Amino acid sequence: MGCALKLENIHKDFSGLQVLKGIHLEIKEGERHAIIGPNGAGKSTLFNIITGLYKPSKGRLLFREKDITGWPIHKISRMKISRSFQITNLYPRMTVFENVRNAVISKLNRRFDWLHLLDNDQEINEETERILSLLSLEGVRNFLAAELSYGAQRELEIALTLARDPILIMLDEPTAGLNTEETRKVVEIIRRVTERKTLVIVEHDMEVVFSLASRITVLNYGRILATGAPDEVRENEEVKNAYLGKKQYVTRSQ
Amino acid sequence: MSRTRIHQIAGIIISALLLLAPFYLPEIRVHLLIEILIFALFALSFNLLYGYAGLLCFGIGAFFGIGAYVYALLLTHLPQMPLLLGLLISAFGAWLAGIAIGFLSVRLRGAYFALITFAFQMFLYAVALKWRSVTNGDDGIGVTRPEFYLPLFGKISLMNIINLYYLILGVVALGVLLAYLFLKTPLGNSAVCMRENETRSSFLGYDSFLTKVTIFSLSGFLAGLAGSLFVLFNEFVATNCIDMNMSFAVVLMAIIGGTGQFFGPVIGAAFYTAFQNWLSSFTQHWWLFVGALYVATVLYLPGGLVSIANLFKRGD
Repeated sequence: MGCALKLENIHKDFSGLQVLKGIHLEIKEGERHAIIGPNGAGKSTLFNIITGLYKPSKGRLLFREKDITGWPIHKISRMKISRSFQITNLYPRMTVFENVRNAVISKLNRRFDWLHLLDNDQEINEETERILSLLSLEGVRNFLAAELSYGAQRELEIALTLARDPILIMLDEPTAGLNTEETRKVVEIIRRVTERKTLVIVEHDMEVVFSLASRITVLNYGRILATGAPDEVRENEEVKNAYLGKKQYVTRSQ
Repeated sequence: MSRTRIHQIAGIIISALLLLAPFYLPEIRVHLLIEILIFALFALSFNLLYGYAGLLCFGIGAFFGIGAYVYALLLTHLPQMPLLLGLLISAFGAWLAGIAIGFLSVRLRGAYFALITFAFQMFLYAVALKWRSVTNGDDGIGVTRPEFYLPLFGKISLMNIINLYYLILGVVALGVLLAYLFLKTPLGNSAVCMRENETRSSFLGYDSFLTKVTIFSLSGFLAGLAGSLFVLFNEFVATNCIDMNMSFAVVLMAIIGGTGQFFGPVIGAAFYTAFQNWLSSFTQHWWLFVGALYVATVLYLPGGLVSIANLFKRGD
């Protein structure tokens, strides 16, 4: 398998505070890659650098061998790198349908189309319906995003991320704040919709991580502690010390 | 009755009233109505920016002024030019200015954006005031209303106020229709995405800079069109067309009418213009009353005059 995303010696400091201290990482085409680590390890910063919100202080970012270091957010997004947010980031005053449609319009490169009426546009509306049904959101299509339950908002968050048909999907704590039932549902959705795609996920729920990921990277104080298959990472002494703990990793009580 | 049905009926009644106005209104009232139409278009152009794209602009008067000056200069130097072409060129002039000013200002946010657009307007005001060889400074430029050739009808004299009324009604209606349809296109939707969640839009691939410049220049186009109509109506342009009161008046109109709905600013423009006209017939200090009205609207009717309809609906 080829390499989808390659990080070369990525550094990031925020006015002196070094958050990332030389990250080398390769995300292979088609893998589900989880990034874990304690709070403050630099996971979110890494996410924000890959998706263009921050520029790295040093280092290079290659997507399918193309150097995308320092590109603006919308250009990285158009390379089909798509992300979700840890804190739900939707269009709260628009309906679920309109939320998804915003993403679809962009995917179809119709952002500057001023010669067609949206309501009569088959291409856009059909694609929006397809995404809605893919995530089983048809039932709430006319609700405002702000009116949805938190669980449904998280699903819409994933819908917006997926609606652009991304090559690389980046999910930032997709199950944060969800109960067991909702978590199971979201994991099921992620598993289903990311098939044959490349996934990078930041997650604190170890059950989710170990059930989804084919490879895991552990981040600690801005450095990579370990990278490898789930079993290797679980047995790694350093990782146990820093994050997972000496005993069995924490599972959710059923 | 459903909401859309009420809207349809209201639309038909208002269209009929506007179409028949010259038959039941005295000439002086037709003058007022023309002014209302022009300011309705102007207020609408402001609301495309503020109400839809979320960009509060204090310099929209710049585009009204550019449209006005370009049209006055066209009438002076190329009096034979077809009337509608002249209006269109003036509006395009304002559109180009919108691209240039937008390019330099839309990266700023909130109050900074509002103030830099205001600064650009003040700059253009200074140009209009000082570049006497072209603009005639504060003496302004007087023009003659051109003839209007309408296919099938031939030459139509615009010295007849009723003919002028219908011409301006037609152009304004076209501008309003354009804005209305524009908001239903993907590009209009992109503008709303900027207001609703700019960050998420960038992550979905929207180029917020380009989107904002586009909507800014389109708004300039409509404001410029309104400005050129203002010259056609007054047969005169002076620095008052580009001074700060032009921008402030239109902000007040939009907010008094209600920025949340498409026709809010139109209603605001009608109310403001009529109110000002009525007040100024017995006091010079009409600004005082307009100010009080504005304060009252912001405090007690934040949705503007259009939201009065919603007050009644609360009962059922």
